[in-house]
Amino acid sequence: MHMEPASFPFLSAILLSCIAGMFTILFIPEEKHRLIKQVSAVFSGICLLLTLYVFFAFNRRVGGMQFVENIPWIPSLGISYFNGVDGFSLPNLLLTGIVFFTGVLTMWELENRVKEYFALYFVLVAGVFGLFMSLDLFFIFVWYDVSLFPMYLLIAIWGTTRKEYGAMKLTLYLLAGSSLILPAIIFLWAKSGINTFSFVSLMHPGLFSPADQKFAFLLLFLGFGILAAVWPMHTWSPDGHVAAPHGVSMVHAGVLMKIGAFGVLRVAIMLCPLGWIYWAKLMAVLAVIGIIYGALVGLRQTDLKYVIGYSSVSHMGVVGLGLSTVTVEGLNGAVFQMFAHGIMTALLFSSVGYIYDRTHTKAIPELGGLSRIMPVASAFFILAALAGIGLPGLANFWGELLVFLAAFKVYPLFGVIAVVTLVVTALFMLRVVQKAFYGPQNPHFAGLKDLSPWLGTPRAILAAVLLILGLYPSLLFNVIRTASVPFMHGLPR
Amino acid sequence: MNWITYAGPEIFYLGASLWFLLLSFAPGQKVVANGAHRREYLSAMLLASIGVLVCLASVHAQGWLFVRSYSVDIFSQVFKTLLALGLFLIVCICDRMDDVDDNRHNEFYFLLFTCTLALMLLVSAEHLLSIYLCLELSSYSLYILVGLRKRRSLGLEAAIKYFLIGSFASAAMLFGMALLYSACGTGYLADMAKTLPRILDSPAVMIGLLFTLGGFFFKLAVFPFHSWAPDTYQGGSNQVAAYIATASKVAAIAIILRVVASTAHDSAYLARVLVILSVVSMTLGNLAAIAQKDLKRLLAFSTIAHSGYILIGILVLDSAGYAATIFYALALLAMKFTAFMVVVEVAPDGRNLQIEELAGLHKRSPILALALLTALFSLAGIPPTVGFTGKFLIFTAAIQKGYVALVIFAMLNVVISLYYYLLVIKAAYLLEPAQEMPPLVVSFPKKLLAGLSIAVILFAGFCPYWFIQIAQAAAQPLIWGR
Repeated sequence: MHMEPASFPFLSAILLSCIAGMFTILFIPEEKHRLIKQVSAVFSGICLLLTLYVFFAFNRRVGGMQFVENIPWIPSLGISYFNGVDGFSLPNLLLTGIVFFTGVLTMWELENRVKEYFALYFVLVAGVFGLFMSLDLFFIFVWYDVSLFPMYLLIAIWGTTRKEYGAMKLTLYLLAGSSLILPAIIFLWAKSGINTFSFVSLMHPGLFSPADQKFAFLLLFLGFGILAAVWPMHTWSPDGHVAAPHGVSMVHAGVLMKIGAFGVLRVAIMLCPLGWIYWAKLMAVLAVIGIIYGALVGLRQTDLKYVIGYSSVSHMGVVGLGLSTVTVEGLNGAVFQMFAHGIMTALLFSSVGYIYDRTHTKAIPELGGLSRIMPVASAFFILAALAGIGLPGLANFWGELLVFLAAFKVYPLFGVIAVVTLVVTALFMLRVVQKAFYGPQNPHFAGLKDLSPWLGTPRAILAAVLLILGLYPSLLFNVIRTASVPFMHGLPR
Repeated sequence: MNWITYAGPEIFYLGASLWFLLLSFAPGQKVVANGAHRREYLSAMLLASIGVLVCLASVHAQGWLFVRSYSVDIFSQVFKTLLALGLFLIVCICDRMDDVDDNRHNEFYFLLFTCTLALMLLVSAEHLLSIYLCLELSSYSLYILVGLRKRRSLGLEAAIKYFLIGSFASAAMLFGMALLYSACGTGYLADMAKTLPRILDSPAVMIGLLFTLGGFFFKLAVFPFHSWAPDTYQGGSNQVAAYIATASKVAAIAIILRVVASTAHDSAYLARVLVILSVVSMTLGNLAAIAQKDLKRLLAFSTIAHSGYILIGILVLDSAGYAATIFYALALLAMKFTAFMVVVEVAPDGRNLQIEELAGLHKRSPILALALLTALFSLAGIPPTVGFTGKFLIFTAAIQKGYVALVIFAMLNVVISLYYYLLVIKAAYLLEPAQEMPPLVVSFPKKLLAGLSIAVILFAGFCPYWFIQIAQAAAQPLIWGR
C-alpha cells in the first residue's frame, strides 16, 4: 500500500485541538456560559477547518494512506501511535468535523451544567476522530471506548425521554460490542506471529488462515455491528437517540453509528477478507431484515425522534447491504451512504431539537401546521426527510442508488425487497411530514418564533452539504474510489 | 553492611513500628477537640514517606539472607516499593480518623506498620515456613485493625468473621504445605522447583499445592475463600478497608506469583483448576455486586471479581502473564485507593457510606466526583485508564496461550461490572440529594492527592510503556528461578 508521511501532523493537530478545547473549557468558571460556548465553537471550528484542509489536500491521484504519522508506543507489544487517512476514512473524518461544529452551534441555548456538557462532548468527539484516523488496532479499540463512555453521562444528565434507561441500555450494548472486539483484535495479533497491532502490517495477504479469518470476522462483525445497529442488535439505538440531547443525538446517529460500519469495513473486512466473503450472505440477510424492520417499525411511531431513530436502523441496513455485496460499487455506495446519512440525520435531529425546545413536545399528533409558524425550521426538517427517502438531487440518492445497483447484481431478490420497502416507506414518511408540518395548526404554538439567523447557521451548513453532494457526488466518490478499487483488486478469490 | 543494603526496608519498618509501640506506652493524651492526633499522624506521615524513599533506594539490591530462605531480588523490591507506596497513601487519608478509638491511634499505626513489614517479608520469603509465618503476622495485625472501630459491634463482628475464616484458610494452607513437604522433602521453593515437575500430577501433590495456594487465595479473596471480604470491608473502619483492598492484595498477588512460578511449571491440570476459580470468582463477584447498597460492600465484591481477572494472568504460566499480573497489581493499587479515598472523604465521620449518599457529589466536591468517576471507569476497564491497560496486558498473554473463550467470558463480565459502576456514577452525577447538602470541606492536600490520583490513572493507562518495562523486569527473577 502506498504510504505518504505527513509534512505536518495535521491529524494529531485535530486530536490536540479537541483535547486542548476540553482543557480550556475545564478551566473556565462554571457561570460563564457564553464564554464556554464561544470557546467550544472556536475549537470545534478549528477542527472543522483542519478536516476540510485534509479532505481537499488529499491527493486523489495517488490514493493510499496519506498524512501518515507513526510513533512507537509500546514496542514490546508492537503497538504504535499510527495515524493516516485513506479513501474510506477521509469522508468519515470530514463528516465528524461537520457534525461536531454544527452540534456545538445546535446546543447554543443550553443553560444546564454547560461546562460539563461541552467538556464531555469534546472527549466524545476526540474519541471519534481518533478512531477514524488510527491505523493501529490497539488505538482503534481505545478510541472506540473513549467515544463510548461520555455518552452515558451526556444522555443521562441532559437527555429527555426515559433518559436513564436509554443511557444505560446504550452504554451496556456498546460495551458488549467492545467485549467481542477486544478478544478478536488480540486474537489477530497472536495469530499473525509478527508481534504488531499495526493495521497496515496485518493487512498482508496470507497472514491469517481462512479458519482464523472466519472466526475473527464473526467476532468483529458482531462487535462493531452492535454499534452500526445491525438487526437484531439495534434496539439500543432508537432508545438512545430519543433519550439523548439534540447535539448528542446528532453525533450519535450522525457519527457514532458510522464508527460501527467503519469498524466493520476497516478491521473486519480489510483484515479478514476471506471471512468477509464467507459471511457475506449472513450480512446481507441481516441488512435486509434491518431495512424492512426499521422502516416498518418507524411507521408506527408517534414520537418524532423515534421515527428518525428507526429510520436510522433502516438506513444503516442500506450501508450493511452495500458492504455485503463484495463489489466496488457496493463499497463505494456504502461509504457514500455513511456520509450522506450522517449529515441527513444530523440535520433531522438538529431541526427536531429546535422544534422541541419551543413546543416541548415530539408527539406527531400534537404538532401539526408547524410549517406556517416556523417555516424555516420546518423547511430544514422536510429537506432532510426528503433526502432520507432518496430524492434525486440530494446526497442520499447516490449512496442508495449504488448500493441497490450492486445488490441487484449480487442478490437480486434482496435488492428488489429492499427497494420496494423503501418506496413504500417513503410514502409513509411523507405522511409523517404532512401530519407534523401541514394540516391544522395547533393553537398553543401560534406565538412561537422561527429560527434566528445565528441558530439557522448550523442547519444551513448541513443542508448545503446535502445539496452540494447531491448535485456533485464525485467530490466524494473520487476519494472513496482511491481506497475501494485497489482493495477489491487485491482481494483473494 | 550487607544487612543494610539487603534488608533496608524491613529494618526501617521494624524500627517504625517499634516507635509506635513505644508511643503507645506513653501516658494517654488528653483528647482535644481538633488536631487531637496531630502528633501521631505527622510522625506516621513522616515515617511512611521516608519508607517509600528507603524502598526506592534499595530497588536494585540483590542477594539471599537466612540460608537462602529469604531472597532479595528485583521482583521483591518492586513489590516492597508498591507496598510502601500503599502504606503511604493510606496514612495520607488517616488525618480524620474519628472512627478509631481516641486512645488507640498509636496502636493503630503500630499495627499498620507491622502489617506492612509482614507483607514486605512475605514478598521475599522463599521457604514454606517463612511464608507461613509472614502471612500469619500480617493476618493477625489485620484482625486487630478491623476490630479497632468505635462502632464496636460492627468492628468486632467483622474481626471475628475475618479471624474465623482466616484461621480456617491458614489451617488448610498448613495441611497443604505438609503434603508438599512430605512429597519433596524440602521446604525451599527453589529446591521444590527441581523435584516438583516430575511428581506434580500425582493427586497428593496437586492437593497439597492447591491447599497451599488456598491460603493465599484467602488473602486475595478468590472463590471459595472470598466470603469474608464484604463483611470485613463493611465492618472495618474505612481506612482499614482501604488498606486491605490495596496493600494486602498487592502482597497476595506477589506471593501467589512466586509460589506458582516456582512450583507449577506448565501444569495443564493446575491451569484448569485456576480457570474454574477465575470464572467463578469474577461471575460471583460481579453478580453479587449489582445488589449492593453499601459502597464498601460493592467495592468488596468488585475486588472478588478482580481477583478473577488476576488469576487469568497467573494461570497463563509464562513470563508475559506474570508481567501483566505485576502491572495489574500497580493498577489495582492506584484505582482501589482512589475509590476508597473518595469513601473516606465523603464520610468524614467514618460511617459506612451508602451509594445514595453520594447524591449531588458533583456539586458538593467536583474533584472528588471526578476522582470517583475515573477510579470506577478504571475498575471497569475502560480506556484510557490504567485498569484497561492492565486487563489488556493480561488478555494478550492469555490469548497468546490460546485462552480465547476465557477472555471473551471475562470481557462479558466486564460488561456486567460496568452496570453497577454506572449506578454509582449515576448517584454521584445525576441524583440530587433529598435535602440541600453543604459543600464538602476537602483540604488542599487532599484535592492535590485526588488530582494526582486521576493523573496517575490516566497517565499510566495512556502511556504505560515505562510501567510495563518495570513489570517485565520484575517478572524476570520468577523465570530464572526455574
